[in-house]
Amino acid sequence: MSELVITGIGVSSAIGQGQAAFTAALLQGASAFGVLKRPGRQWPLADAAGLGDAKPFIGAEISALQMPDALPRKALRTASWSSQVAAATLHEAWHDAGLSQVSPERIGLVVGGSNFQQRELAQLHAAYRGQPFFLKPSYGHVFMDTDLCGLCTELFGIRGFAYTLGAASASGQMAVLQAMDAVRCGRVDVCIAVGALMDLSCWELQAFRSMGAMGSERFADQPEQACRPFDAQRDGFIYGESCGVVVVERADRINRSGVSVYAQCGGSAMAVDANRNPNPSLEGEMTVIQGALRSAGLAADQIDYVNPHGTASLVGDEIELAALRRCGLGGAYLNATKSVTGHGLSAAGIVEIIATLVQMKTGRLHPTCNLQVPIDDTLNWVKNEALDCKVRHALTMSIGFGGINSALCLLRA
Amino acid sequence: MNKNDIFAIIAKHAQEVVPSLESHVFAQDDALRDLGANSIDRAEITMMTLETLALRIPLTELAGAQNMGELAALIHSRMAASVV
Repeated sequence: MSELVITGIGVSSAIGQGQAAFTAALLQGASAFGVLKRPGRQWPLADAAGLGDAKPFIGAEISALQMPDALPRKALRTASWSSQVAAATLHEAWHDAGLSQVSPERIGLVVGGSNFQQRELAQLHAAYRGQPFFLKPSYGHVFMDTDLCGLCTELFGIRGFAYTLGAASASGQMAVLQAMDAVRCGRVDVCIAVGALMDLSCWELQAFRSMGAMGSERFADQPEQACRPFDAQRDGFIYGESCGVVVVERADRINRSGVSVYAQCGGSAMAVDANRNPNPSLEGEMTVIQGALRSAGLAADQIDYVNPHGTASLVGDEIELAALRRCGLGGAYLNATKSVTGHGLSAAGIVEIIATLVQMKTGRLHPTCNLQVPIDDTLNWVKNEALDCKVRHALTMSIGFGGINSALCLLRA
Repeated sequence: MNKNDIFAIIAKHAQEVVPSLESHVFAQDDALRDLGANSIDRAEITMMTLETLALRIPLTELAGAQNMGELAALIHSRMAASVV
């Protein structure tokens, strides 16, 4: 069976748009947290009341999206913010992989995530509550997550297949796993996996805060210190807008020039915990770690670097480190990409795969922001400074609410 | 508000929905379909026009208009009818 490889990358995030800018910021630990400013992210919203002296929501937002001139304004007029970012990000990955040379019927698209437009939905309801008659007709098809598929397949002429895949915060990585399956079984020769931007409104942010999942109480007035995965002072995830795209194909089917291989998709696993609640499972995480290693034909001590899910969840971070230790990965280097980018939810899994790939490519591991007192300091953390390291074998984890677990091994010659 | 004012509003929204019409000089017998507006585009243009005019006319009542001039005339006649 031929290797499955990643041949194209696209990334848009609050720390930078495009592989070069993203990589530079990641390696510097240059995060971009502040008070969220995109309209619809703070109370009051229309006639919904303000929250008195509750602190505003903090996170990281894309400051100015560079939209490629090639993408037509007509299509983008009715495109959601998430769809626009996806189109710009796919444009980068498409050209990185040289996909214009591939037959359109042999290209598939899997878009990881769901609920891409919550913020714009909240704003729309607020705007049209008193005059629903004037609601734009295009809402009837644009409201669906699959409009992102429609937009991207139209803009890039994709004709193999396209669908969305919901796996909560594991959506991005799951999209890659599905892309691998689609190429492996021969349904398509190239499969694009998108981790779409999950555009949260103040409604979701409010609920995340109330359920104790999202921070920060402790660092509400110091946003740059608030996102601290695996640190003793962490108090929940911090939202960060992002979108990632990777291109997966079979190494032996590549028949166009100018293609670079970032890494091989070495092995993967997915498992679900039979648990509706958001709490993580040690057993579920160990299952996918061991499953991915087995599927890659690797022993734990062959893993040079782990890119964990690492959200800064009080319980989640503990469980994840326990899983890594119990699976024999205590000797691998470790950092937390979310400490720099924030938590992109549906996009996180793919952004972290991309972070792993660019670290493999540059031979440098990025620092972990705000890791002052690690909850387990026996592990091989990349703390304040980037570290030179040639990574041949990496493992990346993604975990989603509702007991969803996945892991992927990436191999580079 | 006369028919020409309404025509101008339709034209403005047509240019928003179909940006390639940015420098098009609109004529009364221009058909939006022929100008590159698909069925959803045409529904959008009409709804945006009605919103600008704060006028609630079911889109089905305007479906008979064959071109922009007729659409403007239909909307104008409904406006006149709604003024008591």
